[in-house]
Amino acid sequence: MSDVVVVAPMLVAMVTGILTLLPRGNRQIATWLSLAGGVAYVAAVAALFVAVVPGGGAETAVLTYQLSGWPAPYGIVLVADALSAFMLALSAVVSLPALAFAARYVDAYGQALSFHPVYHFMMLGVAGSFLTGDLFNLFVWFEVMLMASYVLVVLYGGPDHTRAALRYVVLNLLGGAFMLVAVGGIYATTGTLNMADVSRRLASPDVYGVDPAPVLGLSAILFAVFALKAGVVPFQFWVPSAYRAAPAPVAAVLAGVVKKVGIYAMIRLYFTVFGAGQVGADLALPGFSGSAFLGYFGPVLLAMAAASVVLGGFGAVGRDDLDELLAYSSIGQVGFILLPLAVGATVADPALRQFAIAAALVYALNHALAKGLLFLVSGALFDAIGSIDLREVSGVAGRDPTLAAGFFVGGLALVGIPPLSGFFGKLLVFDVAVRAGSNVALAVGLAGAVLTIAYTSLAWNRGFWGETTREVERGVTAPTLVALVAALALAVVAVGVGFDPVFRAAEAAAEAALARGEYVDAVAPCSPDGEVCR
Amino acid sequence: MTQVVLAAVLGVLFATGTFLVLRRDVVRVVWGVAIIGQAANVYLVTMGGLEGTAPILAHNGGGGATATDPLVQALVLTAIVIGFGTTAFALVLTYRVFEENGTIDAGEIGTDRDGTGPLATLGGDRDE
Repeated sequence: MSDVVVVAPMLVAMVTGILTLLPRGNRQIATWLSLAGGVAYVAAVAALFVAVVPGGGAETAVLTYQLSGWPAPYGIVLVADALSAFMLALSAVVSLPALAFAARYVDAYGQALSFHPVYHFMMLGVAGSFLTGDLFNLFVWFEVMLMASYVLVVLYGGPDHTRAALRYVVLNLLGGAFMLVAVGGIYATTGTLNMADVSRRLASPDVYGVDPAPVLGLSAILFAVFALKAGVVPFQFWVPSAYRAAPAPVAAVLAGVVKKVGIYAMIRLYFTVFGAGQVGADLALPGFSGSAFLGYFGPVLLAMAAASVVLGGFGAVGRDDLDELLAYSSIGQVGFILLPLAVGATVADPALRQFAIAAALVYALNHALAKGLLFLVSGALFDAIGSIDLREVSGVAGRDPTLAAGFFVGGLALVGIPPLSGFFGKLLVFDVAVRAGSNVALAVGLAGAVLTIAYTSLAWNRGFWGETTREVERGVTAPTLVALVAALALAVVAVGVGFDPVFRAAEAAAEAALARGEYVDAVAPCSPDGEVCR
Repeated sequence: MTQVVLAAVLGVLFATGTFLVLRRDVVRVVWGVAIIGQAANVYLVTMGGLEGTAPILAHNGGGGATATDPLVQALVLTAIVIGFGTTAFALVLTYRVFEENGTIDAGEIGTDRDGTGPLATLGGDRDE
């Protein structure tokens, strides 16, 4: 049961990456090849999405691709279900505008030399992480994605960029080593690396002779690695400097897509793979209740989400540098994505848990679009004026209303004003908190919303309204960049206005995330020795 | 016996790596990260079990059921290659940090040489 459509996004990204290496130094050819590859990536993702979620979410399929025809659990398997398809769609929607933006924004030398291949290899790592059904393979795709992002962060090579990149590289190398330790430990305790097989063995530990308690500890190490990738407190300290150093379109993809890989890994592993894990009653940890794995991660998630929302919000208020403000804001917004997940992990009701995951996914999509848009606005500003320091930039609204409108739409989407995409994101997050009766989540959400209003309105008042400075008066915005900003702003509005299909796709993805049995069955129908199913 | 020795080696490697990562000298930090990466590799090998014969012999009926698990060795090979690439990149990056900042002291990097304080002048060199 192999389906080529499953590997199509990865193949497209890899082939484009290699092709853009070939015209050495010829910037024109490399750029056009790269743009064609970006369009092909969107087409491949669309084909996969239609194959997995036909008819917009009523019924979904789980497609698999067994590499070299080796059946799972012996070979590496790629799995595309509604959750993977949703995340891939999110990556495609942000990556193409960012790539087109970069084709005009990144300097000619950078584009001729390394930008395009590295960008597509990063997208290859992202697509691989979303599709793989093997724990070690997940590590490999993480490394592919990170290696490429190291180069993109340090692309400009100045003192601050190298410093930021060094911090980013060292932290992620440490994260990689710990991920290796966790993956090796899980292999030693469960005897398999295939995610579906791990899930099956954890569901009936007595049959397979698996001790679940060490798996819980090892999965906690893995959790820390994913939290580092997602940039949530207390692993957030690399975020501001790295986003500030990276070129604006790259920062848009890092904040919009690469962070979501960490979120995806959390949902996939802790809700799907470890979803059936139970530890014995003799393992009583202070402050935790129940015996399911998720019961242990729920309070941790809630603490991380609350700290991220508060720290990100307070960090963003009063920043002078627009990129830095957006970076702190992205820490807080990822907290908003984790908030419903934390609630969903603690509740017992499966319907509410599914609704919570759907809320997190909708918020992830909203954050990807809005933060991508805002970073592109920052890039267009820098391209025109040469500064994004809010003390020097003022009165852009009078100079270029379209660009200012782009920032306005992105900012309001972060705040959550109807009819933009952010309104439904915030609404669902609060709805989850109310339905679960979680006052802590509700209070954190409200505090975060107030902080979001504070920093977006501050940035708007200081940078876009106000007296037009001489720098802004002289600056000329590039029409291509402004057009791309406008296109993403329209996408934010479109998602908000035509929200129904988006929500159905998110619900289908959430259902797939909790459909452990279907996932396991699709990958390997029965255990290799033919004894136990599921 | 092998288990005890390897456990001790792992402990020493992780401790050395952590010690080096906490130094101020950036080159030592990179060495520390590399050592922690290698410690993870050694740990992976031990996870496959230390008993048994070379798995290649099992194919011809030589080792039989006592062959060592070959999968972890394949994993470690992959991890070594990735670690090699990332360490090389980190070392080159360290050199570039020295060229750009004029120091490899983690405490001094980021404080501007002309005394305008940390994090000054990012705007000017962004699109050179």
